[in-house]
Amino acid sequence: MSSTQVRVRPVAGPRVSGRTAGRHRAWWPYLFVLPAVAALGFGFVLPLLTVLRNSLYAGSVYQLEWVGLHNFSALFADDTFRTALANNLRLLLTVPLMTVLALLVAVVLNDGVRGWRVYRTVTFLPYILPAVGIGVSFSVFLQLNGGLNASLRAAGLGALARDWLGSPHWAIWSVAGVVVWQQLGFGVVLFLAALLSLPGEVTEAARVDGARWWTLQTRIHLPQIRGTIEFFVVTEAITVLSWVFAYVYVLTAGGPAHSSTVMEFYIWENGFAHGNVGLASAAAVVVLALAAILIAVYLRVRVRAANERAA
Amino acid sequence: MRSSRWLRIVLMAAVSAVLAGCTAASPSGSGASGAGDDAEHASLTYWYWAESDAPGANDWMKGRIAEYQGKHPGVTINLVPQATDTLIGAFTTAAQSKSGPDIATQWATLPVLSQVWGGAVAPISDYVPDSERKNWIGTQENTYQGKVWGMPIYLIGIPLAYNKSLLARAGVTAPPTTFAELLSACAALRRVGVTPIGGGNKDGYFGAWFFSNFGKQNLDAVGDLQQAVIGTTDIKDPRVTGFYEPLHQLHANKCFNDDIASLSLDDGMSKFAGGQAAMAWGTDGIVAKWAKTLGADAIGVVKTPTWGTGKLASVYNTTQSSTAFITSWSAHKKAAAQFLAWLHDPANLTSWYAATGIFPADTRFDQATISSDLGRSLWELTSSPGSVWLENYLPPAVDGDGDLAAGQVITSGGSVADAVAAFAKATQKWRGQNPAEVKNYTTWSGR
Repeated sequence: MSSTQVRVRPVAGPRVSGRTAGRHRAWWPYLFVLPAVAALGFGFVLPLLTVLRNSLYAGSVYQLEWVGLHNFSALFADDTFRTALANNLRLLLTVPLMTVLALLVAVVLNDGVRGWRVYRTVTFLPYILPAVGIGVSFSVFLQLNGGLNASLRAAGLGALARDWLGSPHWAIWSVAGVVVWQQLGFGVVLFLAALLSLPGEVTEAARVDGARWWTLQTRIHLPQIRGTIEFFVVTEAITVLSWVFAYVYVLTAGGPAHSSTVMEFYIWENGFAHGNVGLASAAAVVVLALAAILIAVYLRVRVRAANERAA
Repeated sequence: MRSSRWLRIVLMAAVSAVLAGCTAASPSGSGASGAGDDAEHASLTYWYWAESDAPGANDWMKGRIAEYQGKHPGVTINLVPQATDTLIGAFTTAAQSKSGPDIATQWATLPVLSQVWGGAVAPISDYVPDSERKNWIGTQENTYQGKVWGMPIYLIGIPLAYNKSLLARAGVTAPPTTFAELLSACAALRRVGVTPIGGGNKDGYFGAWFFSNFGKQNLDAVGDLQQAVIGTTDIKDPRVTGFYEPLHQLHANKCFNDDIASLSLDDGMSKFAGGQAAMAWGTDGIVAKWAKTLGADAIGVVKTPTWGTGKLASVYNTTQSSTAFITSWSAHKKAAAQFLAWLHDPANLTSWYAATGIFPADTRFDQATISSDLGRSLWELTSSPGSVWLENYLPPAVDGDGDLAAGQVITSGGSVADAVAAFAKATQKWRGQNPAEVKNYTTWSGR
């Protein structure tokens, strides 16, 4: 034994076996994360489980009766739900439209047109307005004798005037139009920010190599903001699938005769207004499944893009 | 080891408690008061709805509360006005957790009784003596199993109001009393470029009123509707849903403003107030408001023109519309009951009528305070015997899902068959989705 070696005597205390000590140590990290886990559990997992459970019952919140999977068959037998589903799919058509329009505007603004900052602000303005305010304004503007039709008639285009909100054929497309009007600004700002952050050297190099405007946009700029475009597409797809309640509620209340209802509105109407909790829960499960598919697609696209970049 | 077991027990208890809270509440309908239920010491929350029926109602109620609090310093009342669209849903959500208001408002009969069946309502007849309740008009609308579950505040009817000068301009010398006369008046008004009837059905409420006005006209009793709703008779029977035919005829004959499908009920009716439409259906309170704009002498009111041949064809539509009730979970039921009963104090009845132009639902109302001919005409209609508001007898789900939508089918250009199918589908869906409510409804309707 060297002089530097010191034998340390264990401090007297309760005898703890190695196994038990390990077990105690292993609990501490879990205790630290427990509040967060509990919050997630109460905020997300419990409501989710409740919805899943309720989807197997019929009746109001007061008196639920077990019906198994009947609500799901009733759901797809209900033509109002089928209309809601179809309307959500129709609204999905606004996503490519919004994407193309937002890209066009962003590309033009990125070219540094005079006053582009003002245009950017103006385009973005609808996005920061509350959906209810927008809905109320458009519900007046789109009346049969409202501002839009009055303008069309004044311009000699009276033949194009329609009962935008009162016609079962046009109501959902009117909602779609308002959604596009409101969400477009988000796309413009998003794409413009991505375009402005691109390294100038690549663009300069392409110009030196003789690339013209169209080639510059389609071969140089857009490929570089592909991730942003994908993000926008998936975000908007989820938005029109599960975030359009306010527009439908204020603009048409799902009418006339359920013609402009969407799945969110169907859930609210059945769950809260009509007391069909089971049916509403079953519809919520369907929406959840569709949103999960979209999110999975998005994540897959992101992973693939990341892999491509790494390669 | 011990700590992990404890942790598991605590977690399981917490999860069980939450899950228990999420499970269906058992109907109790408890009328029991808590130990601390003191009529003179309470803080009450009142979810109130009436303004849409009776413009001026919110201000009146605020004034009454202020006066009551002055007289009863130990009582405070927090008034929370409710929106029409969420009136049922908001209360149902609150009832799920048995928390929220001490006094709440729902529309009379089925909207109230469905909450009674859910155990969310305490019977007001347990707290207010017979000697007081005998003066209330319309308590039969909320009576179930021998108890009165809510208190009426006012009565409304829906007359067909007409603009005397616009009818005269079209050469219509008397207001229409039959459906044929109504169609004839429409044609005459169209010829002189006047919109015959102002209305808005974007929200479906115009159609719901039409149901109450015309839907009963081929029925002999409300039981005819109840049987069809529970499925013992065919809901598609023209006696029950044939009233979509006159709605279709009125629409096809351009009796309504062309934008009826894109306007709300209020916006559509306002065409009458603006002198743009010759006729409109409106509640007593709304007619009183129109009288302020157009002049009481310029307006007349009649019962909805007769179209059907049932025993109910000639009876008027009167209801207490909104009902105030005490929630089963309130810890201050006596205080709530005392306040509600006080609203029927004769001085309050008079001030209600002065504020809204709507008749109080109380036999002690001094009719001498009705000063105009228009008011007397409205009173004559509203107080006519045997009145029925048919919409009260529809389960809320059928009303919202079927009644409102089916009317929209017509006003947005659809066919009678489609409207009837929409109504029938809603009743079928209700029967499939609400087995317990169907049982209660069946028991209540005496089938």
